[in-house]
Amino acid sequence: MSRLLTLRPDLTTPPPHDFSQLASRAAVRSSLGRALDSLTRGELSVLDALVVASQTSDAELATMVNAEERYVTEAVAHLRGLALAWDSPEGLRALSGVADSLVGGTGAGVSGLRPRSSDAPPPEVVTERLGQVSEEARAMLDHVLANGGEATAGAARRTVRPEDAAGPVEELLARALLVPGRDDLLVVPGEVGLALRGGRTTLEPVDVPPGLATAERPARLTESAAAGAALELCRRTELLLEWWSTRPAAALRTGGLGVRELKATAAHLQLSELDTALVVETAHAAHLVATRADADGNPVWVPTDAFDAWLATDVAERWVTLARAWLASPRMPSLVGGRGADDKPWNALTPELASVLMPETRAMTLAALAEVPPGHSLAAGTGLPSLVTLLAWRRSRRPRSRADQVAWTVAEAAVIGVTGLDTLSSYGRALVAGEDPTPLLAALLPEPVDHVLIQADLTAVAPGPLETGIARSLQLVADVESRGAATVYRFSAGSLRRALDAGWTAAEVHAFLASVSRTPVPQPLTYLVDDAVRTFGQLRVGYAEAFVRSDDEAALAALAHHPKAASLGLRLIASTVMVSTTPVDLLLTRLRELGVAPVVEGPDGTVRVGRVDEVRARTPKARGSGQQEARHAAQVAAAVRALRAADAAARVRPAAAVSPAGALSALRDAIERRASVVIAFTDNQGVVGERVVEPFAVEGGQLTAHDRTADDVRTFAVHRISRVTPVPEGP
Amino acid sequence: MTNGPLIVQSDKSLLLEVDHEQAAECRRAIAPFAELERSPEHIHTYRLTPLGLWNARAAGHDAEQVVDTLLTYSRYAVPHSLLVDVAETMARYGRLRLEKHPVHGLVLSSTDRPVLEEVLRAKKIAGMLGNRLDDDTVAVHPSERGNLKQALLKIGWPAEDFAGYVDGEAHPIALTPDGWELRTYQEEAAESFWHGGSGVVVLPCGAGKTIVGAAAMAQAQATTLILVTNTVSARQWKDELVRRTSLTADEIGEYSGAVKEIRPVTIATYQVMTTRRKGVYPHLELFDARDWGLIVYDEVHLLPAPIFRMTADLQARRRIGLTATLVREDGREGDVFSLIGPKRYDAPWKDIEAQGWIAPADCVEVRVTLPDAVRLAYATAEPEERYRLASCTREKITVTQELVTRHRGQPTLVIGQYLEQLEELSTALDAPVITGATTVKERQRLYDAFRHGEIDLLVVSKVANFSIDLPSAEVAIQVSGSFGSRQEEAQRLGRLLRPGEPGPDGERKVARFYTLVSRDTVDAEFAQNRQRFLAEQGYAYRIIDAEDVGA
Repeated sequence: MSRLLTLRPDLTTPPPHDFSQLASRAAVRSSLGRALDSLTRGELSVLDALVVASQTSDAELATMVNAEERYVTEAVAHLRGLALAWDSPEGLRALSGVADSLVGGTGAGVSGLRPRSSDAPPPEVVTERLGQVSEEARAMLDHVLANGGEATAGAARRTVRPEDAAGPVEELLARALLVPGRDDLLVVPGEVGLALRGGRTTLEPVDVPPGLATAERPARLTESAAAGAALELCRRTELLLEWWSTRPAAALRTGGLGVRELKATAAHLQLSELDTALVVETAHAAHLVATRADADGNPVWVPTDAFDAWLATDVAERWVTLARAWLASPRMPSLVGGRGADDKPWNALTPELASVLMPETRAMTLAALAEVPPGHSLAAGTGLPSLVTLLAWRRSRRPRSRADQVAWTVAEAAVIGVTGLDTLSSYGRALVAGEDPTPLLAALLPEPVDHVLIQADLTAVAPGPLETGIARSLQLVADVESRGAATVYRFSAGSLRRALDAGWTAAEVHAFLASVSRTPVPQPLTYLVDDAVRTFGQLRVGYAEAFVRSDDEAALAALAHHPKAASLGLRLIASTVMVSTTPVDLLLTRLRELGVAPVVEGPDGTVRVGRVDEVRARTPKARGSGQQEARHAAQVAAAVRALRAADAAARVRPAAAVSPAGALSALRDAIERRASVVIAFTDNQGVVGERVVEPFAVEGGQLTAHDRTADDVRTFAVHRISRVTPVPEGP
Repeated sequence: MTNGPLIVQSDKSLLLEVDHEQAAECRRAIAPFAELERSPEHIHTYRLTPLGLWNARAAGHDAEQVVDTLLTYSRYAVPHSLLVDVAETMARYGRLRLEKHPVHGLVLSSTDRPVLEEVLRAKKIAGMLGNRLDDDTVAVHPSERGNLKQALLKIGWPAEDFAGYVDGEAHPIALTPDGWELRTYQEEAAESFWHGGSGVVVLPCGAGKTIVGAAAMAQAQATTLILVTNTVSARQWKDELVRRTSLTADEIGEYSGAVKEIRPVTIATYQVMTTRRKGVYPHLELFDARDWGLIVYDEVHLLPAPIFRMTADLQARRRIGLTATLVREDGREGDVFSLIGPKRYDAPWKDIEAQGWIAPADCVEVRVTLPDAVRLAYATAEPEERYRLASCTREKITVTQELVTRHRGQPTLVIGQYLEQLEELSTALDAPVITGATTVKERQRLYDAFRHGEIDLLVVSKVANFSIDLPSAEVAIQVSGSFGSRQEEAQRLGRLLRPGEPGPDGERKVARFYTLVSRDTVDAEFAQNRQRFLAEQGYAYRIIDAEDVGA
């Protein structure tokens, strides 16, 4: 039972209540389809034979399938485990519904034979009858069988005795070599098909999977190519994300990465756009990139904090993270650059660019590659097609795009570094097998070096991958000129200044260079460092609100040390100049309070003196009197109207209130009479108010009326009117 | 993972570790297809460029060899994409061939029809082609041979030229090795040129390029046109040819501003060839004056545009280009490739130095601090004036005087760009000055006197940059230059590299090259650019402060 649920996981979601539910669920078409999808072509053929047999024993089934008996036994056991075949009291049967779900032609293991008739004669009889028919009838039978086993009847009579048969069709019908099916069709019954194929459902053996075309290739070459690609992937991912952390890539509205961004990224990584898309997608699958809003609120792609953790690990571990993510990812980066069904270009990182079948195809492709013996690789031209054929045998029913998916997987695996020269690497094997590939990969990767060679043309070459700490420091003091397995750095005044900005001292720079350089530091570089230090910080920039200057140095010094001047933030920056953090106007007043007589200096250096400005305000504008009067009159009119309305309402309040149920009729009545009514109305704020209105119409739940209070035509929702009271004809 | 000396970077640069035991072997293996970009002391950088790969194809190497070499010597895994790229690039060369057709004369043919179709549809090329002869062949007018090659290179489908060369008018020329012999590298250079048909030979200054030219002439055995940079250099060529070959002075003509002789071997200057009158170049006809069998381009990195244009029409004649620095500040290396020919021989400077054919050099950059007044003037000057101001500071004259005193007795050249500065120096140092205004006769007199040790101090302008043979010079002091020109710096150093006779103590001379630079100005920036070529060739500059010169 648990085996069944493991093999067909869809049966457990949601957990079934009881066995009857489980059984019915297992026979549902979609679930069946899923179970069938997981079968190889050989297993499908066995199942197909079971369907043809309708009901049989294990032993008989084994004779019907063109395969080794042991294979059939194993296949049947598997089918039983999947609950696709079961033992009825009468014998082994296929689950009902399987017959209908078995479609797809010979490629999907379907033999094209009909189930045997329930009253099937023994094979010898069928063979004998076949011997009796004419040449034409035999040819016709072969033709019908080869073309789906169904034919239209034409004018042939359905029930004839062999002696009366006229024409090949009737001949066949008479001997039950063709039997009537549904919709006036004639079908070849299973037993006849079997007889025609020599007692088996297929002519070809079904238990032999197609082989892979391989060629010999030294493992040393393929391993080093794979490790090289793995190293490149890690390096490019790091480069990409470091680039994006300072210059985030704009995300499309649909969530993808625009063509232009991809192009720029490809140029930066020195990769083709397709490979760039793969690097980007892999980083995304490993959760190293995500979107966030930039300063303007637009979504951009930036590295996640997982990137920092990733960077802290060894190269081998970094690769394993990426490769695992790639293996499990449903993404199809190889489509990037192409166009979808709607002729829209596929962008990298678009959510639609995924297929649930992709991880399975990847796993199966790599598993198939893992079967290639070490020292061999896929043959150059024929290898890939043979791989596709093999996978088509293993998973015969789907997907339609498998050939593409397999080709993508092979191409991507080479870029990722799982394979080298189309051969699964040793660590790739471990990865596919679910083991830890880290130590295997680490052994293949070049040893990190802890030194560089500094040369007189102001470059430094690290002849291999640098240790992380040294690489970081070097990147600070020098610019990277060329990347790859080795790295070339160039020192310039600018790069050294960057290090000084980051707080390094000249001594530190010298010490660092001397420690990482295997050769003596060339004199021009030493000179350049000293020169950069010499010019560093020659200009100083600071913040001040005002300055105070005077030719009298003593006076300035006294002022700077004046106890009451402490709060002014005065600082002597030269013997004749002081700066202050106090704004000019305030400083001027305070200095005057201290008993000195400062004057203000203009931007051009001239002294500004003058009397204090006398303060004046603007004369307020007077409004015209006519306007005021008009406004006043309008206010009065509005007040009167409101009062009258309130009065009218007050007058009727004691009178009999109309019940809410009768409100509608009361309103209709008022419309007929063209009378005013007082309505109690609940407004949007839930406040109940009374209004005096003259109703015009009640339509669609809306009352249209003239509101006296507002002096305007309004509509009211009828359901909100709780009460309608007629206004007695006024005096 | 092997332990090879080469690291192949994904940006198509190759790093070669010089101290590795396989380094020499690897260098020989990669030299045919990779361009030497930098050769400082520890790690040399080569680069794979389309031109370099096509050069290799032209020399008969195929992609498989290149890939194999990279894989053999590489220390780490070679990026797969790079290998694919190498194969693709190399496959582009030779898809199109220029051939001689018995009936139609010159034809362009292709083994790859789509390429031919693509080329036929290219706008720039359609005009150069004649009738379509059959599916794979199209006629080409012989006069378009050069232009077509140039245009095809531009669109990335360089044609291989199988159309051959005319022999030209025969003229016996032989080398006369009495008391001297052809050096190994000179012989190799002449050989590889001759086998390639046409092309460029790159040798350091002072390594005897003239002799390579003479050896090429001896191979051609035909009338020869030699194009040189200036008159003095023309005279030197003449002297050298008379000395090294069977040619007599009467057989060699000079075609310059002053003299216009056309002889079996004619030496013409670029200047006279590019003289323009009323919109035409009257002297370009010289190319057609005789049935030349060989054309020698001295200092091919300076080849002016009109000569390129004329050269395009001369594709049927053998052409050899000689240079020390195939860097063109105008970036026309591609034109040199398609019109003169691929690089046929290249030897790093340091290699030749190690063999003792050129003198070792000690390069020193002297940093001069400008006085405050000049700094202020500099800071406020117009940008175009700044370089001149920084270059011509009086401080440099003082430093020059100190240096001259220090090397008193050693033949010294003071080289500069600005005439006023040179005049000033001349007065301050009490030395003769040679500028563009000096007559040829006077120049020769001074050069001769310098060569014979009668004077040991000369102040020269940029007229002495090229092709002036002053073997005795030991010290050069460069006070200013033409902005950031890399090749000028190399050429100036080249003046010093003729190895002198070993002194009484058996020590060979060490050339001293001083370049005076004003600190914190554009002068320093330009100096850095100027030094790049030499630094990349492995010449390390020391930097000292002007105050330390005396020490």
